[in-house]
Amino acid sequence: MLLSFDKVSSYYGATQILRNVSFDLEQGQCLCVLGRNGVGKTTIMRTIMGLTDRTTGSITMGDEAIANKPPYQRAGYGIGYVPQGRGILADFTVRENILLGTFARKDSAPEIPELCLRIFPYLRENLDRRAGLLSGGQKQQLAIARALAVGPQVLLLDEPTEGIQPNIVHEIGEILRMLNKELGISLILTEQHIKVARKLGDAFLMVDNGRVVARGPIDEMTDELVERHMTI
Amino acid sequence: MDFGSVLNALILGVSIASIWLIAALGLTIIYGAAGVINMAHGALIMLGAYSSYMLQHYIGVPYLLCIPASFVIVAIIGLVLERGLIQYLYDRPLDTLLATYGVSLVLVQGVRLIFGSDPKYLAVPEIFSSNISLGFANISTFRVVVIAVTALLVLALWILFYKTRFGIQVRAVMQNKEMAASFGINSSRIYMMTFALGAGLAGVAGSLFGVLNIVLPTMGDSYVVQAFLMVVAGGGTLAGTVIASGFTGELQSVFAFITNDTFARFVIFLLIVVFLRFRPQGLFAKGGVRR
Repeated sequence: MLLSFDKVSSYYGATQILRNVSFDLEQGQCLCVLGRNGVGKTTIMRTIMGLTDRTTGSITMGDEAIANKPPYQRAGYGIGYVPQGRGILADFTVRENILLGTFARKDSAPEIPELCLRIFPYLRENLDRRAGLLSGGQKQQLAIARALAVGPQVLLLDEPTEGIQPNIVHEIGEILRMLNKELGISLILTEQHIKVARKLGDAFLMVDNGRVVARGPIDEMTDELVERHMTI
Repeated sequence: MDFGSVLNALILGVSIASIWLIAALGLTIIYGAAGVINMAHGALIMLGAYSSYMLQHYIGVPYLLCIPASFVIVAIIGLVLERGLIQYLYDRPLDTLLATYGVSLVLVQGVRLIFGSDPKYLAVPEIFSSNISLGFANISTFRVVVIAVTALLVLALWILFYKTRFGIQVRAVMQNKEMAASFGINSSRIYMMTFALGAGLAGVAGSLFGVLNIVLPTMGDSYVVQAFLMVVAGGGTLAGTVIASGFTGELQSVFAFITNDTFARFVIFLLIVVFLRFRPQGLFAKGGVRR
């Protein structure tokens, strides 16, 4: 088991967002976290990174309990985070944004890993461009490249296709599939697009009102489940 | 009004600018990186002067070595201050303001208890008390030393912030603390180190100001106001503070040349107020979310 949540609750101030969430992510698996807006999908990601105010329950990564580790230590366990809204540092160049990912590496090599640039040729050609000037799709590529610079065992992708042109959605989908199937990097993915989820996912986690309401292999995600928990 | 005296005024302006700038460097770094308004900055400048005085008076350290030694001593004091107090107040700007003001009162009174209120003097090598003539212009050698030290520090800081891994970490924390943390950067450690660095820079300023002026427990008070004006007018960035100090120094020198120094200062303060009325974010405002 690579990453596990066991009865995890998560809070912002006094407000409880996640209630007793449990799931397991296996090595090489692609887990899709599904649900309507505002049910706690992003909070699951942020809880993994330690960015909520308080959590209870246990989170393990590999053999290590990480629930009490400060956020800056968590990436070091091999977690690459692509947050919602991408979290690109606008004043940094493309190069500096990718280098940011290297601070979490165990070897702390100050180089941009070749992989990041091979998958995204646009970034290689624009390393000294200010990241704030990139388009939405380019920023998403940059966010993924930065997370890959961590040398991750698992990538957390929060709405990776949100606000991106359809042709780039396809391209990013292909890249994620390649990272998952060829390089064996596990993925946790929150998605609004059921199609993308069905295409990429091995397993799903349906969230409603801060609780896990269904989980299992992706082919058990019935239309009836989608109907009940995702349509408005 | 002949050419020679105008040139002299401009060169003196560079010297005044370097004083404004070196007083503001440490404050800029602490404000820019951690968002802390460090009211104890003046007291740290004062401690730099007293560090140099002690090293020189009791141990006989040569003056030029007192400058880096003051950096180290005041940086350590800054480190203790940050770990002991400031680190608990980062999300509370008003509390930091009051706490650092309180610290400055304690430091000033503490120094007064130990050394008394009578002025101390820093001795400099003979060569620094002469004057240099450049054609029409005439400037004291020590002021050239101040300009050189300031220029070196600005260059060193620029390299530190824009060419090193430490610099990337500081700038990442400045822009987005949460993303920096998500990629393994310990912002608490970065704040601690920038605070110590900023304090150390105040120490260097103090060891230079101790020669330009007399060493007194309250000597930091006037510099801290100047330093704040430069940080605010510059927008809290290194480049902003450099440019704001450059302009201010030259303007002050030119106005002083035309009228007198008191009036020049009056005009400078007035101009800064007017400038901030129309550009409250300063010359170069920072983007990004701090927290």
